[in-house]
Amino acid sequence: MDALSHLAGGFAVALQPLNLLLALVGVFVGTFVGMLPGIGPINAIAILIPITFATGMEPASALILMAGIYYGSQYGNSISTILLNVPGTASAVVTALDGHAMTRQGRGGPALAMAAIASFFGGTVSIFFLIFFAPLLAEWAIRFGPAEYFALMVFAFAALSSLAGGSVLKGLAATALGLLLATVGLDPNSAIPRYTFGQIKLLDGMDFVVVTIGLFAVSEVLQLLEETERGQAVTRGYGRVMITAKEFLSSLGAQIRGSVLGFLIGVLPGAGGTIASFLAYSTEQRVSDREGTFGKGDIRGVAAPESANNAAATGAMIPLLTLGVPGSGTTAVLLGALLGLGVTPGPLLITEEPDLFWGLAASMYVGNVFLLLLNLPLVGLFVRALTLPRWFLLPGVAALSFVAVYAVNQSAFDLVLMTGFGVAGYLLRKTGVPLAPIILGLVLGPLMEKSLRRAMSLSGGDWGVLFSSPIAITLWLLATASLVVPPLLARRVTAPASGATPTRTPPR
Amino acid sequence: MSAPTRTDRAAGAVLGLLGLAVALEATTFDVLFLTDPVGPKAIPMLAAAILVGSGAALVARPGSGGAWPGHGILLRMAGAIAAFGVYAAILAPLGFVLSTTATVASLSMLFGGPWRRSVGAAAALAVVLWYLFVWLLGLPLPLGAVWEALWTR
Repeated sequence: MDALSHLAGGFAVALQPLNLLLALVGVFVGTFVGMLPGIGPINAIAILIPITFATGMEPASALILMAGIYYGSQYGNSISTILLNVPGTASAVVTALDGHAMTRQGRGGPALAMAAIASFFGGTVSIFFLIFFAPLLAEWAIRFGPAEYFALMVFAFAALSSLAGGSVLKGLAATALGLLLATVGLDPNSAIPRYTFGQIKLLDGMDFVVVTIGLFAVSEVLQLLEETERGQAVTRGYGRVMITAKEFLSSLGAQIRGSVLGFLIGVLPGAGGTIASFLAYSTEQRVSDREGTFGKGDIRGVAAPESANNAAATGAMIPLLTLGVPGSGTTAVLLGALLGLGVTPGPLLITEEPDLFWGLAASMYVGNVFLLLLNLPLVGLFVRALTLPRWFLLPGVAALSFVAVYAVNQSAFDLVLMTGFGVAGYLLRKTGVPLAPIILGLVLGPLMEKSLRRAMSLSGGDWGVLFSSPIAITLWLLATASLVVPPLLARRVTAPASGATPTRTPPR
Repeated sequence: MSAPTRTDRAAGAVLGLLGLAVALEATTFDVLFLTDPVGPKAIPMLAAAILVGSGAALVARPGSGGAWPGHGILLRMAGAIAAFGVYAAILAPLGFVLSTTATVASLSMLFGGPWRRSVGAAAALAVVLWYLFVWLLGLPLPLGAVWEALWTR
């Protein structure tokens, strides 16, 4: 197979000592990031961006590190969910149902082991899907013109707006805020300044690292100030971190179904790990919950969502790499990082930058092996990190944010901007406006505007060009459907966790 | 009217007004000769339209926004925001290590850390970060204009 020989080349990249080390560091940091309050994968990757730029790292190496944090955080997430019933992000909310129930029964150890194994299963199975589907999609996407790209981005915005959390209206407003931030600075076509208010420092536009760290890290610190009265996390005994062969075999079906479902949902824009894990859980419940044990500490209730959200994380890399159009907040930050490193993801990436694509695919495999090897013996260390006091942890996150934001332009003005975005982010969180669409709008906005203007220039000002090809029309229909269908469905069935906004403080 | 509904109405009003302001500003984006049929106004106007539309809809049909913290916590938040602002002001003159120690220590205390250990942890963190970023990763962080002036005198 062609793909297998490419993959061998990828392993040659991934197994270089530096890249091996970066994959290890990435998944290790990712585990902490997914587990601890105050810092998520979006923050961590945003903080790393200026640092990788400053060290002059190869794009492939930087991507290996950042992707490691991304999928590693999915593992870490399950640790705090299972032991403390505090999901780091919404994608682990359903894992809490059976995972924490197992902890209460003193079977936290097997739940943790199951989560690690299911994550490994979902992570590695989906890499094979990635290797086979990404080149196919890239070949197909070569035919996309600017009009198709514009429609595709509209679809990505629509899907994330309606699925990122709670209300579609608030999701749309968030997207609009992101698009607006993207227009700040000199317009590249006409060279007139937009929304700079005479500030010379704004002519270059809003740096998305500053905006992201402000919106996510600083607002998270402010939000967590609300909870200082809360006592320190207390973990209870969890037993040996092992599962029996019988437990593994009984959950194998759940893992396979979870991986396939998770991958497919991950590829779609907007949905991501949250919906993947939720659907995998409810599917598994329907398929195999004959004795009504789900929700009461059934190990399959851990296996299904954990394999699904890891597979979704891999699936989400496909539109990012082959189309250059991310469908989630985290992949939007990855796109920003790639653009900053001078790599433009798109249909040509696989053929023009084979080392980057195949090296990343191979390193994700290596990283998943690391995660499995790390997670089982090191759970004790991770648990101790969970008991770190917040007065130590969160100011530390703030200090890292300062360094990263300052490193972007060596400018104190950026620190003020960051603080402003932090306050805005806090208010938006409080009013239930999701933050991920803002980042997507900010990163994708300039590309969207460019596609629109190029399409219209080519057509000589005829708006019909946007609806002139079957692909474009299909994408427009999908965009409309993703805005209209979820609210209608939500009206019919009140889905419990699927629409939950990512929160670090679910009710105990 | 419950507090969450009020939150949504207020959010809708703010978003809608922001949209109007955005549209108003966009009308000034006049170009002497059009380089492309779309021009610089289209995307801002689209964003403004979405903001006005979703803002108005939120005012008309509010859902459930969040609950707000009490005065004590708001005060502590104001303290944290002030600490961020002060940091931006003192970073260049006082340098990374001292400003980071001061800011991180005050944040730690706002999070309820005991003051001695907060200051100690903050100072240790500042020194570790300095060595990590400046020495190991080669990232420029300010040494402090005040100290440099004293040094070179």
